[in-house]
Amino acid sequence: MTERSATTSPVLPPLDAVGIVREAGLTAFVVFALTFSLVGFKVEDVPGGLDIVTRFDQVLAATVLAFTGRVVLILLHKRRHLPVILVGLAIAAVILGLVVAARGAPESATAAWLPFESVVVNVLVAVAALVLAGRAAWSAWRRDVGVSDEAVELAARVHKAAIFLGPLMLGFAVVLPFLPFADRRLLDIAILVVTYVMLGWGLNIVVGLAGLLDLGYVAFYAVGAYSYALLAINFDLGFWVCLPFAGIMAAFAGILLGFPVLRLRGDYLAIVTLGFGEMIRVILLNWYEFTKGPDGISGIPRPTLFGLPFTRTDPDGGETFHSFFGLTYSPLDRIIFLYYLILILALVTNFFTMRIRRLPIGRAWEALREDEVACRSIGINPRNTKLTAFSIGAMFGGFGGSFFATRQGFISPESFTFIESAIILAIVVLGGMGSQIGVVFAAILLIGLPEFFRELQQYRMLAFGAAMVAIMVWRPRGLLAFRDPTIRLSDHDTAPEKQT
Amino acid sequence: MSVAAPDKLGDSLITVEHLTMRFGGLVAIDDVSFQGANREITAIIGPNGAGKTTLFNCLTGFYKPTVGRLTLHHPRKGDFLLERMEGYQIPQRAGVARTFQNIRLFPAMSVLENLIVAQHNALMRASGYSVAGLLGLRGYRQAERQAVELARFWMDRTGLTDRADIDAGNLPYGDQRRLEIARAMCTNPVLLCLDEPAAGLNPRESSDLNALLRYIRDEHSIGILLIEHDMSVVMEISDHIIVLDYGRRIAAGTPEEIRNNPDVIRAYLGENEDEPLPPEVVRDMEEER
Repeated sequence: MTERSATTSPVLPPLDAVGIVREAGLTAFVVFALTFSLVGFKVEDVPGGLDIVTRFDQVLAATVLAFTGRVVLILLHKRRHLPVILVGLAIAAVILGLVVAARGAPESATAAWLPFESVVVNVLVAVAALVLAGRAAWSAWRRDVGVSDEAVELAARVHKAAIFLGPLMLGFAVVLPFLPFADRRLLDIAILVVTYVMLGWGLNIVVGLAGLLDLGYVAFYAVGAYSYALLAINFDLGFWVCLPFAGIMAAFAGILLGFPVLRLRGDYLAIVTLGFGEMIRVILLNWYEFTKGPDGISGIPRPTLFGLPFTRTDPDGGETFHSFFGLTYSPLDRIIFLYYLILILALVTNFFTMRIRRLPIGRAWEALREDEVACRSIGINPRNTKLTAFSIGAMFGGFGGSFFATRQGFISPESFTFIESAIILAIVVLGGMGSQIGVVFAAILLIGLPEFFRELQQYRMLAFGAAMVAIMVWRPRGLLAFRDPTIRLSDHDTAPEKQT
Repeated sequence: MSVAAPDKLGDSLITVEHLTMRFGGLVAIDDVSFQGANREITAIIGPNGAGKTTLFNCLTGFYKPTVGRLTLHHPRKGDFLLERMEGYQIPQRAGVARTFQNIRLFPAMSVLENLIVAQHNALMRASGYSVAGLLGLRGYRQAERQAVELARFWMDRTGLTDRADIDAGNLPYGDQRRLEIARAMCTNPVLLCLDEPAAGLNPRESSDLNALLRYIRDEHSIGILLIEHDMSVVMEISDHIIVLDYGRRIAAGTPEEIRNNPDVIRAYLGENEDEPLPPEVVRDMEEER
């Protein structure tokens, strides 16, 4: 309220300099206390043992940056946009300039002026400064928008833009393998990201639409993977025959989980699904005769394109992919094929979800998420509705699992630990529950970036955690929490005078 | 107090016989019997804690009654024994719809979606349990269009058409109350149970509500059961009133009869103050002193 009145009157309230310095000083002190031991001392391997290296210059840099950052944040909050923009741009320009100047010469004098040793950290600081400046410029430009409205408005804009953004991203995804910078490493990361996008979309049905907090989603992933692996090895069936079976098995597992948890809600449901996920893993681990337990299953057949394998020579003497199409053999072919395979599976998931959201069952899921009691009062059968949500969500998990098995060629229970469920759930929650495009961004952020940030070494997971905390602070309802109605009166309006 | 029961059995819609609901040692409803008629508004009144909402919860399947029989005489489908049915089947098959004392909408869904969801069962059949709907067959599109028409009819009736695409949670309080009634009506009920629909409404909204309820009763020829504290609503539109106190039926009759019923007045205003206190209470008070 006060912010709004401040925007209407041109005179901003005066700044409380002492208060700002005190608050920024406090922040700087906290950062100093944290970094003093974590960053200030580093144990290094030297010939003949270990040595402690001090890095107090970096502690100082972190403290000064924290102080400046806090002051800038306060100024941003008090609607002093110009200094924020100037300081942000200045910091970003100085750091980026130094990074570029010191490139290739890490021991040079210019490099010594950089606040941190690691290039990635320096760039991250610069990016943060740029983001702050951009944010200030954005709110200076849109004076009438309060801070809290910005999030919703941005999400709404992105979703409106999704009409163009979606096909654009899809187009990019389709041509990605043929772009000049697409090497083996990038494609592997892309396959991983798209796998998680698909799993996120699948879990989105259960968590985002039906509102059933499922912490054991990886169980269905495992069921799908083992279904494919065991069917393929024991009955010599191909990938395309096994895929539907794997989906059906996983859906069946979903119903099996669904029945006992029908009456549970919220935290209790989460605990039971967590237990279910672990149960599946423990069964896979201990049922040695069937699953080969901790040894895992190896030699899982690779997928083929209508029977054409992606090998140099077919062991049975038949045609292979490259000989059939008259291409030279490239090991990348198989990677590209896997990439398209998972892309298609993910798109099917997305298409299905978008479609079913507009059907009665999808609306009933959302109604169930909103209010189960009200659902019963209008005659929706909560049992069937929940079970369909569980089983359909699980089915897509199963598809993802069989893709995983065929891609790896080897599966063991170790691949299906709780952390996988947690990551998939994090993708859904951080993306903004129920938001399809949010899942894509969150998957890129959570799966893609940690792979790119391998340079950060042991701080990689710290950066990951920091990113999650940052999202939770600034976007408590997820990156793109925005819900578009599944039906609008205007779409069905025959009377032209009704315009809302 | 011998008050005549509503003995128009011919078009009786709901018959409640010896309904008793116990929660452990607490008797929330004690042997209540009454009938509600088709095309009539039957009000259930009583002081706080009299068991009115519990009665509704028994009728709509949220509670299983300890004792008693609840029979719904559906004009087209025959009799239903409500106490034997699953909660969700009562609105689905017997056609009993309800609203809640503390409004229960689907807040993150739009007004129109709230009304479409209410037609879930009909649409589910039309969508071939989602198969035909996924394929986008014509039959389903047709059914959805009809559902929108029904929703629009009730939005027009309740004055919500202009807000059709707004989230239900963002509506003003009075609109939310009306939307809940519209949603209940979209399930195509034969009996509508309204739990304090006038709570929190201003006098103008209350009188609009009266008009709406009369319209529903007269034009859609369904029965209405109404819990209400607002006597201006109750006395004005009820055809019949049942008074509960401490879970028991203490009176039943027309508004005129209820207004002058000494039991009802005593239940609402308390016992006569001149009556001597029970001797053990007097003894306790003296010991305290």
